[in-house]
Amino acid sequence: MRDHNDAAITIDGVSKQYEGEGGTTTALREISLSVSSGEFVTVLGPSGCGKTTLLRLVSGLESPTDGDITVEGKLVQGPDPNRGTVFQAYHLFPWLTVRENVAFGLVEQGVPDAERQDRVQEMLEVIGLSNFADAYPKELSGGMKQRVGLARALAVDPDILLMDEPFGSVDMQTRRQLQHELIHIWRDTDKTVLFVTHDIEEAVALSDRIVVMSGTPGCVQATVSVAESRPRNRSAQWFVDQVETLFERIKSNT
Amino acid sequence: MATEFDPVADSSGIRSQPTTTTAFGREWNLTRLWYGFVGTAGFLAVWWAGGREVPSYLLPTPGEVAGALWAELVSGELLVHLGESLLHYIPGVAVGIVAGGLLGIGMGWSLVIDAALTPVVRVLRPIPPLAWIVFAIIWLGLGHTGAAFIVFIGAFWITFYNAYEGVESTSRDLIEVATTLGVDSNRRLLWRVVIPDALPGILTGVRTSVGQCWMMVIAAELFGAPGVGYEIITSANNLAMARSIAYMLVISVVFLLSDWAVRRVRSYLLDWQQ
Repeated sequence: MRDHNDAAITIDGVSKQYEGEGGTTTALREISLSVSSGEFVTVLGPSGCGKTTLLRLVSGLESPTDGDITVEGKLVQGPDPNRGTVFQAYHLFPWLTVRENVAFGLVEQGVPDAERQDRVQEMLEVIGLSNFADAYPKELSGGMKQRVGLARALAVDPDILLMDEPFGSVDMQTRRQLQHELIHIWRDTDKTVLFVTHDIEEAVALSDRIVVMSGTPGCVQATVSVAESRPRNRSAQWFVDQVETLFERIKSNT
Repeated sequence: MATEFDPVADSSGIRSQPTTTTAFGREWNLTRLWYGFVGTAGFLAVWWAGGREVPSYLLPTPGEVAGALWAELVSGELLVHLGESLLHYIPGVAVGIVAGGLLGIGMGWSLVIDAALTPVVRVLRPIPPLAWIVFAIIWLGLGHTGAAFIVFIGAFWITFYNAYEGVESTSRDLIEVATTLGVDSNRRLLWRVVIPDALPGILTGVRTSVGQCWMMVIAAELFGAPGVGYEIITSANNLAMARSIAYMLVISVVFLLSDWAVRRVRSYLLDWQQ
């Protein structure tokens, strides 16, 4: 069994406000949340509830207006490769090949050439794109692009994986496949995953714990644990019931 | 900014027929080739008919021009004058592209440099390069250095503008990705994200500079710097119009060659785009 005792991510009373022309908008209010080491936690909520903002705060791309976010006991003060981030729109570097995209973080860390190549090759095998190592992103399908996005984040071996609706731009078949692969990678590598989605089924299929958010301003509305073993059968009664319960919960709050 | 020599990209009319790509990157097929031949023959016929009616000092015939071109080629004079032009064109373009590119990247990236230099740039940039010819003459004389200076100014502003736009419009998203992957200095960010992202724009600037600067060369030479342009004006002054046109054609050929070369370099560097 995993050790879920030590907190990998602690979000403590975090609020986020934006100053705009029409005054101050509160995107997040008083969010508190703790993610244990090795845990797979999904933040589930409708569009505009601030779940992406929350993820950006954890990644360090933005700073909270109030409250603190600590990762492995250290206050988050900016982006760090130890918190690998995967974006919905992939954001691959178009001028780099698949291999070079995956190697990006390793180059920045000054990993020696031979070691870097081995690591990239390993990652390409994990995502099943060894044959596309020298292709440019524009030659790839959406699903392949996101595999590269995932491999790029994983290449530097971060403890934490932050995923912002990573499978939101691919078709249903591919989405299922990628979810399946993600669970395998997560199990094999023992990462802590904070995953953001508005897809209830996806949340139930993947997570140890689901944090339901509602807007606006975004706040945590409920936390649901899912103890069933993976892979989870989506037509099982508990699965259908869980999806329905979450659906009702979200609906009653929007 | 594109030039008029962009490869044809639409699929209407006869262009939709099966094609093969040539070394010049154009779509070619027999029909196109045939129409091109007819058009060229028609043009030459009209020129020839016109030239036959008037004295040669008003309009020489195609044959006379071809003769003059051959004579210049055989005597070696053509290469000498082309060499003179290149002697100020190449350094002017090269230094202008590098300096303009660097300033454009610097201003596009740094808000401080941008704020400090914007007023000066706003005022100086609209001045046509040729207006600087008075300074070229006073400071440097109208030899190679003076002409190179004019070319430099042309290449400088064109490349500056494209580099500035390219860097300023760098994808915020890619910068964010880079920071999550461990890029933590301006130097690394410029090198790994900003410049590659701006490269298409910068290379458009380079291509435009290489083309436009042939105009600067000729203009500077009409004022007296040695080279192809000087030969165009002196031949005309002597009413040797066939020789004048021969040198005009030389400009056209070197323009096409240099544009083709830049396009090759560009498509090599930007193969990730095609």
